[in-house]
Amino acid sequence: MKKGTTVKDVSRNPAEQLFSITAEELMPLTCSEGESNGKPPVRQLTEEQKNTYECSLDGLSAVRLPKPQSKEEEDKLVASFLSGLKKLLSKEDNWTFLQPLTISLEYCAKCQLCSEECPIYLSSGRQEIYRPTYRAEVLRRIINTYIKKGNKVLAKFTGNDIELNWTTIARLIESAYRCTLCRRCTQACSRGIDNGLISHEIRKLFSQEMGIAAKELHQMGTVQQLEIGASTGLNPKAFEDMIEFMEEEIEEKTGRKIRIPVDRRGADILLLHNTGEFMAWPENPEAFAIIFEAAGLKWTLSSELGGYEATNYGLWYDDVQLAKIAFKQAQVAKDLRVKKIVIGECGHAHKAAIVTADRVFPPELNIPRESCLPVLEDIVLSGKLKLDPQRNNFPVTLHDPCNMVRSMGIVEPQRRILRAICPQFIEMEPHGVENYCCGGGSGFAIMNSLNFPDWRSSISGRMKMKQITDVFGDVLDPSLVKYVCAPCSNCKGQIRDMFSYYNIEKQYNIIYGGLVELIVNAMVDTPVRYLEEVLAVEEVPAIDKEAFV
Amino acid sequence: MLFAYIATYVSFTFIILAYAYKVAKIARMPLHLRWELYPVPHEKGYKYGGSYLEELEWWTKPQERSSFRSLLYMLKKYFLFNRYFRKNKRYWMSLYPWHIGFYLIVLFHALAFFGALAMLTADIEVSSVSVSSMGIGLYYTTIVVAVGSFVTGSFGSIGLLVERVVNKDLRAYTFPVNYFNYVFFLIVFLSGFFAWYFFDPSLAAYREFWKSLITFQFTYVEPATYTHVMLFSLFLIYLPFTRSTHYITSLFAYFGVLWSDKPNLRGSGVEREVQELLEKPVSWSAPHVQSITKWSDIAAGGVESK
Repeated sequence: MKKGTTVKDVSRNPAEQLFSITAEELMPLTCSEGESNGKPPVRQLTEEQKNTYECSLDGLSAVRLPKPQSKEEEDKLVASFLSGLKKLLSKEDNWTFLQPLTISLEYCAKCQLCSEECPIYLSSGRQEIYRPTYRAEVLRRIINTYIKKGNKVLAKFTGNDIELNWTTIARLIESAYRCTLCRRCTQACSRGIDNGLISHEIRKLFSQEMGIAAKELHQMGTVQQLEIGASTGLNPKAFEDMIEFMEEEIEEKTGRKIRIPVDRRGADILLLHNTGEFMAWPENPEAFAIIFEAAGLKWTLSSELGGYEATNYGLWYDDVQLAKIAFKQAQVAKDLRVKKIVIGECGHAHKAAIVTADRVFPPELNIPRESCLPVLEDIVLSGKLKLDPQRNNFPVTLHDPCNMVRSMGIVEPQRRILRAICPQFIEMEPHGVENYCCGGGSGFAIMNSLNFPDWRSSISGRMKMKQITDVFGDVLDPSLVKYVCAPCSNCKGQIRDMFSYYNIEKQYNIIYGGLVELIVNAMVDTPVRYLEEVLAVEEVPAIDKEAFV
Repeated sequence: MLFAYIATYVSFTFIILAYAYKVAKIARMPLHLRWELYPVPHEKGYKYGGSYLEELEWWTKPQERSSFRSLLYMLKKYFLFNRYFRKNKRYWMSLYPWHIGFYLIVLFHALAFFGALAMLTADIEVSSVSVSSMGIGLYYTTIVVAVGSFVTGSFGSIGLLVERVVNKDLRAYTFPVNYFNYVFFLIVFLSGFFAWYFFDPSLAAYREFWKSLITFQFTYVEPATYTHVMLFSLFLIYLPFTRSTHYITSLFAYFGVLWSDKPNLRGSGVEREVQELLEKPVSWSAPHVQSITKWSDIAAGGVESK
C-alpha cells in the first residue's frame, strides 16, 4: 500500500505491510552515494523475523513486539490497551499531560499545515503513514468509538468507525516510533495542536499500562540506568576507570595535568554528562574538564549510582521513569551539597532535567538546573580563556538539537561562542527554532532494532543530511575539512551513523563533534590543536563566506 | 412567530452554557508537566526564539515578560490567520473569509441588540436620516457588518467545501459531517443575505425583532427574517458540537501549554500545586509501575527500578 493508505487501513490485512519503502520515492539527495549501489534503503526483515515480530506497518520493528500466539492473547492485549487509554484520558491517572493531550485530540482541524513541516513525511516522499496527523487520527477515532462510544448510527457520518483489533494496536505503537517528537509540526499549527505529544502519549500508554516499549529505551535504557548507573551500562567502577583514562588522555593531548574532580562535596556545580560521551567521544567530557579547570570553576562529577549519567530516556516514553531518574539525579546533587546541576552536551537531558521534570520536584529535591551553554558562553566571552579563532579556521556549521532549541529556547549562547571562535561559522537553513531534527530524536539514535538503523539514516535523518551537504555545497571538495558542530550526544550518534551510511567523511571530508572541542581547539596555551588528529589538514585556506549565502 | 423568539432565547442561553462547560472542563484540568515550544512571544529573546534559560543562573534573575507581544501574537492569529497565510495561501483564501464571516455575524447580532437597546432606552432612531449621529453610525455599521458577514461567510463556506473536495490530502481527513457543516453554514449565511437583499435592506425588521426580544412584546416577523433567525438559532445550538470551541481553547493551547514556562521556584504557587499533584495515585498496570502507589513515593526513594 502506498501514498493512498487511509486511516481505516490501519486495522486491515494484518499479513500485509501498509507501506514498503523504495528508493525511488524518497526525497532526492545530492549525497546519495550510500544509496546508489542498488540496495534498498531499508533492508527487508528475514522470514523468521517477520514471523516473530510485528512489522506490518512498514516492514520495520522498532519495538520488537512479539506476535501474539492466540486469539485470547490478542484480546487480552486489546483489553489492556483500552484500559490504558481510559487512564490516559483521566485526571487522576494522567495529570502530567492531560490538558495538552485533550486540546490536541479534540481541536485538530486536519488542515494538514503540519505535514509540510515534518522531515520524516517529506523525506519519505510524502507517505501517508508518516503524516503527522495519521497516527493522531487513528488514536482519535479509537477514543471516539471505543471510549466515548459515540452514536453507532452516526459513526460513518462523523468518521468514527475505525475497527479496533490487535493489528490496529500493533501498527499504532510502531507508528508512534516513526515520529522523533521534534515538534516542528506543532510550530506550524495555528491552533497549537501537538502531534508530537500525541506520539509521546501513545508510547506512554503502551509503556505504563502494557509494559511495551522500545528495549533500548526501557530495559537497556531507564531500567539499566536505575540499576547499574547508566543507560550505556557504565557502572561506577568503570566510570572511575574512565576518569583515569581521560586524565591520561588530556595530558597526552594537551600536556595539562588535570585531576578531574569526582564527588567533591560543596562544589558549585555538579556536571552531568551523557555517558555515551565517555564511551564514544571521551574528547567531549575531557574538553569540559579542560575548560572548567582553566576557567577556575568549582565543579565536580559524581561517581554515585545515578550521579554520572545525564540521560533520562523517560522523557520519550514514560512519565514514571522520567520522574524516577530525575529524582535520583537530584538526590545525588543534594547529597553532594552542590549549588546547581549543569547538564553537558545532551539535548534530551537538558529538556528532561531543566524543563519537563521541573514540575515533579518536591522542594527538597528542587536543586537549580541549567544548561552548559550559558556557562560556556560566560567563560568564552568573558575572556577567562586565551582563544585564537584562527585555530578553528575551517568551515563550521551548527546543528540545533531540537530539545535545547525548539523545546527550551536556548538558541544564541552557542552561536555567540561559535561566532567568537570560528571565523568560518555558517548557518544551515532553516536553523534555530525552525531547525530540522537530526533524525535520531526521541531515542532513535540509540535504537538499533533489526533494520531500524537503515530507516533512521535513509528517512528520519534524510532532511538533516540534505541540510549538511547543502550548507557545505560550495566547499564539498574533500581536500577541505568541514565541521558539523552538534552539541548533543544523541544527535552526534545519529550524525555518525548517517555519515557512515552515506559515506560522508570519505566523500566530502565532513566531520562532526561537539562545541567544547572547538573551544579547546582554539585555546592558545596548548602546543598542538586539540582536534589536530581529526582535522587532518594543518593549513586550511580561508574560504569566502559569501559563497554559502 | 413566537417560535423564533423562543428559539433565540434558547439558542443564546444554550451556547453560553455549553461553551462555559467545555471551557471549564479544560480549565479545571490539573497543572501539567512543562512542554513549551519556542518561540514564546513573552520572552525577551522572542525574535529569534530565545528564552530565559539562556541566562547564566536564570533562577537568580527576574524574568522579563512582555504580555503585549503575546497579545499582539494572538490578535494576529485571530484576525489575520497569519500562519495559514504564510504556509498555505490557497487554503487561507477560503479559511480567512469563512472565519471573518463568523466574527461578523456575531458582531452583527451584537449591533442589532445595541441598536434595539438604543432605540428603547435612549430613544435614538437608528436609520440613515436619524438626527442622532450614533443612530446613523449604528445604521450603516450594522448593514456593512451584516452584509460583510453574509458575503465572506458564504464565500468561505463554498471555498472550503471545494478545497476539501479537490485537495486529496484534505479529502482523506474530511468526513460527511464536515461537508454537512460547510453546507449548513453556507445556508445560514445565504439566508441572511437573502433576507437583507430582498426584504429588509435597512435591517429595520431585524432591529424590531431584537426590540421585541428585549421587551418581551413579540411581534410579527416576516418569513425571510424568520427563516434566518431560525437557522441562526440552530447554528448556535449546533456550534458547541463542532470544534468551534477552538476559538477559546486556543488560549489554553498557547498560554497554558506552549507558552507555559513558569518554573517551579522555591516558595512559588507552582511548587504548592506540584506538591499536591505528587499525592495523586499512580494506578498504571505495567510491572515497573505496579509497586508505586503515589508520585511522592518515587521522590521519597526506595522505588524498584524494574
